[in-house]
This record gives sequence, C-alpha cells and structure tokens, in this order.
Amino acid sequence: MTKLKTIGLSRRFLGLVAVNKVSFSMDEGEILGIIGPNGAGKTTFINLISGIIMPGEGKIEYKGQDITYMPAHERARLGIARTYQLIHPLENLSLIENVMVGSIFARGHSMREARRRAADLCGELGLKDLDRDTSKLTILEVKKMEIARALANEPEVLFLDEVMAGLNADETKDLIATVQRIARERKLAVGVVEHVMGVIRELTHRVIVLEAGELIAEGPYEEVSKNPRVVEAYLGGAA
Amino acid sequence: MNRTLARSLPVAAIGVAILLPMFMGDYPLQVARNIMLYMALAVTWDMLLRSGQISFGIAGLFGLGSYASILAVVRGGMPGWLSIPFAGLFAGLAAFLIGFLILRLRHTYFSIVTLALGEIFRIIIHNMHDFSGGPEGIVVQQGIIFGGASRNLYWLTLAGLAVALLASYWFEKSKVRFALTAIRNNEISAKSSGVNIFRWLLLAFVVTSAIQGMMGGIFVMSYGFASPETVFSADFTLLPLAMALLGGIHSTVGPILGGLLLGLVSEWLKLQIPYGHLVVYGVMIVVVILFMPQGLLGLARKTMRAAGRNRK
Repeated sequence: MTKLKTIGLSRRFLGLVAVNKVSFSMDEGEILGIIGPNGAGKTTFINLISGIIMPGEGKIEYKGQDITYMPAHERARLGIARTYQLIHPLENLSLIENVMVGSIFARGHSMREARRRAADLCGELGLKDLDRDTSKLTILEVKKMEIARALANEPEVLFLDEVMAGLNADETKDLIATVQRIARERKLAVGVVEHVMGVIRELTHRVIVLEAGELIAEGPYEEVSKNPRVVEAYLGGAA
Repeated sequence: MNRTLARSLPVAAIGVAILLPMFMGDYPLQVARNIMLYMALAVTWDMLLRSGQISFGIAGLFGLGSYASILAVVRGGMPGWLSIPFAGLFAGLAAFLIGFLILRLRHTYFSIVTLALGEIFRIIIHNMHDFSGGPEGIVVQQGIIFGGASRNLYWLTLAGLAVALLASYWFEKSKVRFALTAIRNNEISAKSSGVNIFRWLLLAFVVTSAIQGMMGGIFVMSYGFASPETVFSADFTLLPLAMALLGGIHSTVGPILGGLLLGLVSEWLKLQIPYGHLVVYGVMIVVVILFMPQGLLGLARKTMRAAGRNRK
C-alpha cells in the first residue's frame, strides 16, 4: 500500500533549484534509500515532506490525502516523523523527557502515559539510565534518542537523515539491525539518507538517486549503483 | 534530610510571608509590598523567557492593567476589589489580540516590539485627557480599597504574588514545560514532534500578560492613583529582569530569590544614594551576565555538585 507520494515536487532558493520535479512513492514496510552527492537536495526533499519548508510546485500525498501545504506539526500528528542530521537534544530535559515530547504533542498522551511509552521505546532501542542529562550521552545514544524521539510520534512514515554518520563499524551494524527490526515490527515506510554506501546496501530495499535536485535513477541498490548516470554523478566526468 | 529541608523551606517561607504584617510597621510593610510586586513581575517575565522569548513589555502590560483597573473604578463605578481581576482579564485579552500579530516575530524583533508596545499604551493614555486624566494622572476619590490599611494591602499583594507563583508552578509541572522548553531549544525539531508553536507561545504570552496586568491593578488600587509616568515606568521592566537574571532564569525559585535580594538592596541604596541606585542595578546586571550567567541558583547548583564530588 502506498503511504507517501510526491508528484512533480519542486523548490527553488533564489534561482537555485534545490528540488526539481521529483515524483516518487513509498510503500508500507519499505525501506527506501535516498542518495546523491553533496548538495543534491536530499535534506531539502525531506524538509519538504515533513513540512519544515513549503514547496514551490508539485504535490505531496500521504495515504491519499493532500498535505502539500499542511503545517509541520499537523503532519507529525498525521504520522510523518523524521530525525535531524544535526541533533540538538533539548537541554534541561532528561533523556526520557526528550522522548516524551512527541508522545505528548503529536499523540496527545497524558504525561504519565507519555513517560510509560517513552520508557518502552528507550528500552526497545537499548537506551538505559533514562533520567540522565542529555549532555552525558555517547554519540550512539544520542542517535538512538533521536530515533526514539521520532518514533514517539507513533509514525507510519519515518525519515532518517544521516543517523549513521559518526558511528564506528560495530555501532553502525547495531543501529542497522535496530532500524530494520523497528521498521519490520511497525510496518513503517522508512526513508534513509546516508552517505555510506555499505549502509544503504545493507539496509534498503530500493533507492532513489538525486542529483542537482533531480531524480536521476530509481531501483534496487545493486542495479542503481551500476547505472552510468549515477556513477557519473558521484565521480564526475572522469569516470 | 535534604529532602525534608527542601519541602519544609517553602512551607516556612509561606508561613512567614503570611504572618509578617503582625510584627511590622507601615514602612517595612510597604517595602515588602514593593518587593512582592516586583517578584511577581520577575516570575512572569521568566515564564515567557522559558519559551526563549525576551520581553521588554512588562511595564506596558503592567501599566495597561493599572489603567484598566483605575478607569473601571473611577469611570465605570466598579468596586475596587473587582477591578483587580478585571485588570488581569483586560491585559490578557489585549495580549491575546496583540499576540496574533507579534508572536510571529523572534529574538530581537520580538523584544523591540514589546518595548514599543509599552510606549504605545503610554502615549494613548497620555493623550486621552478626558477619559484617562492625561499626563496629570487620575485619582480614586472615594471607596479606596481596604480604606488604605497597610496590613490588608500587604495581604492583597501577597495574594497577587501567589497567583504568579501558582501559574509558574503549573508551567513547570505540566506539559507546558515540555512545549516551552522544546520551542526554546529548537523550533524546527519541536514542530516535528507535533508542537503547535504559535499556540503555546500565545498561551504563555496571555497568561504572563494577564498576571502583569493584575499586578498593575493591585498597585493602583493600593495607592488610589495612576499616572502614565508612574505605571509605565521603565523600572517595572528593568528591575524584574535584573531580579530574574540575578536569581537564576528558567525557574520559579530564581526570580524569587533575586527579587528578595535585589529588592532589599535597592531599598537600602535608595536611602544611601538617591537615584544612584539605578547605576548599581546596571552594574549588577552586567556583572551577573558576565560572571554567573546561570544566576545565584546556578552558582549554588555548581557549588553543591563540586561539594558532592569532593565527598566521593
């Protein structure tokens, strides 16, 4: 079943076309890789879908509903969640309280219920010592907290913006398994932006490739990685 | 042991605050009233600050409430006691309407506009001679509240402070805290967690403005007089700000602690160096911001943490 769909989605910043007529769709239970060289428009694309910025043209549909210009907090309530590349844990809130925010505001749970659910989520992700100050967390724990925070919205569509960046090989392996398990158990549609191709190969069922804001290829990673246009986009004219 | 102390301290403070008038003459009672007034303003300023918005509009809303209260009594024949909640309601409603316009602004822009608001209110009052009494001010001719008995006025101001403290406690213990903290830290990530930013900012702005307006009502009903120069005085913006900064921001206790200290110091300074006390506030604000940005509360926390480490 199609969860999310864009049709000719575009956004320009002062003449620079950051996202150019991108049409794609994501199905329930699918892990989709979003790849492309730096500046290809991957994060802008996620920002458009999550409502952080509004598109210039095109359409976004979530489960058949037009959400093109819906405010971000309403999309969060509808079931679209995301993590951020640059994570800012909420100071003055403990680890568990950071995770509670989505549960309280996106789902409308009471504080008590939100705390219970946040504790469950943290447990599921292997986070311990939940009353800790967020400044005391390791990188892996911060990444997991960010994922838990997004999952607190109880989403159906989840975007992960470079959650593996900065992790070592073991940690990456651990997090890949975690994301796969979470996606499977919740039947989530997951969009993953990642620069490490090993992660994309391991994790995703399908990838889309953006270059200069345009969707230039689509398909399973093994296939797309051999596509001459994709190779050229990554390596430049030299290849 | 620490727990019991932490619990019994507020109870003791409340007891002392209520019983104080039994042991005090008129002058110290008036000083105490002043300090409590400023504490309430400091706490409400901090409540909005918890969302990251720095308001310079305290005097504006305080003055607006002051005039709402005194004009309701003098022109509308409202009983004095009723004019106090009316002042709060009026300032809250004004903040609600203004909020739709200005809560889209952030940082310096928000601060400047709140500062301008106070000026706008002051100029309007100043120029509505026939209705507001103009620059000379306006006096409550008869039926002054409590007949001016200073003990009762003390308790009235204490009640006003209690409202501010309860509101602040509510902000700290409910999901309001999560909303405001999330907004202060990162609005984009707050939105992604479903926080309707405008709605929560509006709530904080309306509640704090209503309390500031109510304190204005208490102030003018206590003195039976209002003029643009007294109730829109910059003191009502700057002193609460200095108190909250000194005590420690983002808390209820900080502004109260800072209010007590700065209130007493300022009273003493006024006697020692008339008008010079303002210079001292300025120096204090600078010193606090430079050397202890978390205020006295932050300093105490740091010291306790260091002491805890030494014990290990």
